[in-house]
Amino acid sequence: MTTATPAPSAPTPEPGKPESQHKTGKAGKVGRQKETGKPGEPGKTASTAPGPGPDREGPPGRPGALRRLAARTPGRPAARGLLVLALLALVAVPAAASAWGSGSWPDALTYDVRTPLDELDAWLVDNRESHWLFLYFLLHISNNAVSAVDGVLALLQGLGWTGVTAAATVLAWLAGGADLGRRALRTAATALGTFAVIGLLDLWAPAMETLALMVVAVAAAALIGATLGLAAGLSDRCERLLRPVFDTMQVMPAFAYLLPFVLLFGIGTPSALIATVIYAAPPMARLTSLGLRGADPAALEASASLGANAWQRLITARLPLARRQMLLGLNQTIMMCLSMVVLASVIGAGGLGDEVFTALSRVDVGQALGPGIAIVLIAIWLDRTTAAAGARLDDASAPASRRRAWSVRAAAAAFVAAASAAGSAALGREWPEQWTVSISGPVNTAVGWITENLGSGIPLVGGTATWSENFARWVLNPLRDGLQGAPWWLLLLAAAALALLTGTWRTALTAVAALAAIGAMGLWPTSLNTLSQVLAALVVTLLLGVAIGVLAARVSWVDRAIRPVLDVMQTMPQFIYLIPVVALFNVGRTAAIIAAVVYALPAVVRITAQGIRETDPGALEAARSMGASTGQQLRHVQLPLARPALLLAVNQGVVLVLAIVVIGGLVGGGALGYGVVYGLQKSELGIGLTAGAAIVCLGVLLDRITQPAASRDRR
Amino acid sequence: MTAAPATPSGAFSAPDAVTPETDDPVFSVRNLWKVFGPKADRVPGDTSLTGLSATEVRERTGCTAAVRDVSFDVARGEVFVVMGLSGSGKSTLVRCLTRLIEPTAGTLHIDGEDVLAMDRSRLRELRRTRAAMVFQHFGLLPHRTVVDNVAYGLEIQGVGRAERRARAAEMIEKVGLAGLGERRPGQLSGGQQQRVGLARALAVDPEVLLFDEPFSALDPLIRRDMQEEVIRLHREEGRTMVFITHDLAEALRIGDRIALMRDGEIVQLGTPEEIVAAPADDYVRDFVRDVPREQVISVRRAMRPALAGEADTGVALAPGTVVAEAVEAVARSGGHVRVVEDGRTLGVVDHARLLAVVAGLDPDAAGPAPDAADSHTTGGEVAAV
Repeated sequence: MTTATPAPSAPTPEPGKPESQHKTGKAGKVGRQKETGKPGEPGKTASTAPGPGPDREGPPGRPGALRRLAARTPGRPAARGLLVLALLALVAVPAAASAWGSGSWPDALTYDVRTPLDELDAWLVDNRESHWLFLYFLLHISNNAVSAVDGVLALLQGLGWTGVTAAATVLAWLAGGADLGRRALRTAATALGTFAVIGLLDLWAPAMETLALMVVAVAAAALIGATLGLAAGLSDRCERLLRPVFDTMQVMPAFAYLLPFVLLFGIGTPSALIATVIYAAPPMARLTSLGLRGADPAALEASASLGANAWQRLITARLPLARRQMLLGLNQTIMMCLSMVVLASVIGAGGLGDEVFTALSRVDVGQALGPGIAIVLIAIWLDRTTAAAGARLDDASAPASRRRAWSVRAAAAAFVAAASAAGSAALGREWPEQWTVSISGPVNTAVGWITENLGSGIPLVGGTATWSENFARWVLNPLRDGLQGAPWWLLLLAAAALALLTGTWRTALTAVAALAAIGAMGLWPTSLNTLSQVLAALVVTLLLGVAIGVLAARVSWVDRAIRPVLDVMQTMPQFIYLIPVVALFNVGRTAAIIAAVVYALPAVVRITAQGIRETDPGALEAARSMGASTGQQLRHVQLPLARPALLLAVNQGVVLVLAIVVIGGLVGGGALGYGVVYGLQKSELGIGLTAGAAIVCLGVLLDRITQPAASRDRR
Repeated sequence: MTAAPATPSGAFSAPDAVTPETDDPVFSVRNLWKVFGPKADRVPGDTSLTGLSATEVRERTGCTAAVRDVSFDVARGEVFVVMGLSGSGKSTLVRCLTRLIEPTAGTLHIDGEDVLAMDRSRLRELRRTRAAMVFQHFGLLPHRTVVDNVAYGLEIQGVGRAERRARAAEMIEKVGLAGLGERRPGQLSGGQQQRVGLARALAVDPEVLLFDEPFSALDPLIRRDMQEEVIRLHREEGRTMVFITHDLAEALRIGDRIALMRDGEIVQLGTPEEIVAAPADDYVRDFVRDVPREQVISVRRAMRPALAGEADTGVALAPGTVVAEAVEAVARSGGHVRVVEDGRTLGVVDHARLLAVVAGLDPDAAGPAPDAADSHTTGGEVAAV
């Protein structure tokens, strides 16, 4: 099968271009990297400024220490900020502690948000059929959503399996250049293989459901994204307005998008579709705006100098010059759509995601693996196809004449029609049942063998279950208990201090407000449980990611070896990562954390490797000429110079880890993610929504305290 | 270099007293200002600011005066070069001519029509048909073929596809790119790309060609080729050109007249010969120090009045002959050479006069000249001897 072959021709970024831009899904989030550009010297103060710890409790002698500190770091704003913060804390903390106590979040500051939400939900359920808001607005949306998806599904079913396979293959071939070159044939083969495997695994019907939802979601998200991107690219005011919105949307875990739409539309296709569209539109908008703004100024000036009016300039110069970025945006939007469509099975999207979801909730890895493979193949097929179209844009080769292009397209359409008709007549529209294989039996046997033989009792090594248990006992539990046992004001202060290290007072205020909101909603201990998982996963991710990144940057064969692996990993939807870890580690927090590590690793590796590779070669050469050893080169030149990239890696790592840790609620991760799942399954939307809101707050908090400062300064 | 049909040949005049020099200028620029920064409008009118240097203005107001009180005429058919170092305001100046950058103050006429008073559609008309620009970084559209790039200006004008492609093909041939029409700009070398840029500007058949440092990004050899291309085009078509450059050799080679800019002001305006032979101040003198003077200065400037008997003997040269060529004639004849215009002997040059030019001396001070009828005293140089 050709599909699994990682294509080495797939985007091999030139040096100097952020390579994570090329990849997708997650790269949608990583995409921010390009826009932040080179964060200047975000945390120059971080190493010398005092940690948040010792400054707070204010034992005797503190003022002297503070003065010494002030004298030592006169010109550093972050250190000064911390100093002010410490002085504030000296006054505020004793007051707050005496008023509300010093343990967990005080009850006096907790407000009941669940009851009003439940009431709102009840009211919405009662009035969904009668209120004007629904009758004249929301119902139209949901009806149109349902009919659009049904229409596409009917079309796919009408084409029959031969027609769909032929159409996908031909589209991939057209995107790859419509010739007999390697690229065109390989993308076509990827498409063909994908659909053959889907049929073989007896997943044709759910795959078509997923595909129908995808088609509608991608179309809507791309349209909305392009429109917003056009507005933001052409008008500075729109850009200023939209940018913070997109920034915030990018740090929100996909899981948090689901519930508000369930509140409005109930469980089903409309909720899934709208959540998907809203989740996936920002990259398209961002990159469209970026492309419009980044167009070669000389070309635009030439256009103006020839007397083009605004419209001509847009059509003939700006949009074509932004084409590459827009295609990249489309690629990311498609991958994010897929990720969300699969995840939205939780709120009734159906299709392949639903197969995975139900299988996982029964801990039936065999049943989950088939649809999981199908989803991964679809992801690879879509990614390769859009990437091939993008690569073709870069090709300087002479364009085929228009007439030839149109005749090729006409022939392709005719071929699809013929395949559809002939296939339906000869083989039926459904995938023939005798051509399917069931893998769930053998897989479950293998998983059983793994649990038995690798799970525990291996001498010296232990086993996956043992590791998982030990990790929970020796790392997760102490971390969680420590966080939950810490005084609430201490955590608030820590958040403020961390945010101040790289950011401004405004960042610090946002971080503190986000954390306080969590407490006020009454989810303090649960959120700290989630936080402990995020922190544990983050540490593991960073240790592994930076190590691999450094290795990849310095050893070229490592880079060559991991690049295709990273390419594939970055295309896969979030949900998929849960399947193998459940097979190896069973359900529980450790499984969720390992899934999160695996999910966040590629981005961290990429950013680290790129940051190190892009350090000033002159500086490195100077160090080498003075006889620095490899370790010295790393310690003294590469890592310090790559600091902005490393900070960005931390930021991306934390955002990605959070996204998976909350999804881990589906496989026994507990905490906030479970709140969302529980709320959905028991129709207790109040619980689900508050958990979702707490996830958003946690996302904002973590993003703010890790965000490289330059991305804010730039604005 | 071509003979400039309408080039004024009057004596050099001081930069701040540039008077209209032709009856029928293409561009006529008077007291033009471009100031960037907050409340830029107040700078040109404020007499307490206009006298200050660029740095002082910036310190005082926070504004950058890129073009300061510039006046000149571009005569029909001439190659008018604006030359200066980077930051001297020359690129801003050329953009002001078609209001790609809006001037802050002053007047600006093209063929007697007030450019600053034009509304948007009239201005577009100006850009579409009357003045076309060639850019330093080419400004080609990478997604279009060479033909479509060249045809771009015509497309904007609304010319039909077949016609504009035919015109574009013609232009491609003219700039020596025949056969490359279906390539993309990315497949061409820098020199070829700039030929595309040139063809694009020529395709709209503009009255004036504006060049903004068109060859600065090219290798020296290619640059020379392109300069010759421009000279050839000018000789063939006689089109008016405004040419921005920071390269003195380029300015001297292709310019009929040169405006030398510094800190937004024109410090000297004149023919290449005037600038080399009679620098207006130390800045210009410094600038032209390494120029091979014998290649630029003509015998008209080097000659002395004929002594008795000299006016009828010796080889005759035209007054525009450069000194380098006269050297050859003098060396061959061994004596003096006459400078003759319309059959009348204007004066003579001998080895002493020519050597003085090469040496950068004032010929009248250095040579044993009987009298100083036709001398230019440039000051300074004499003291240096």
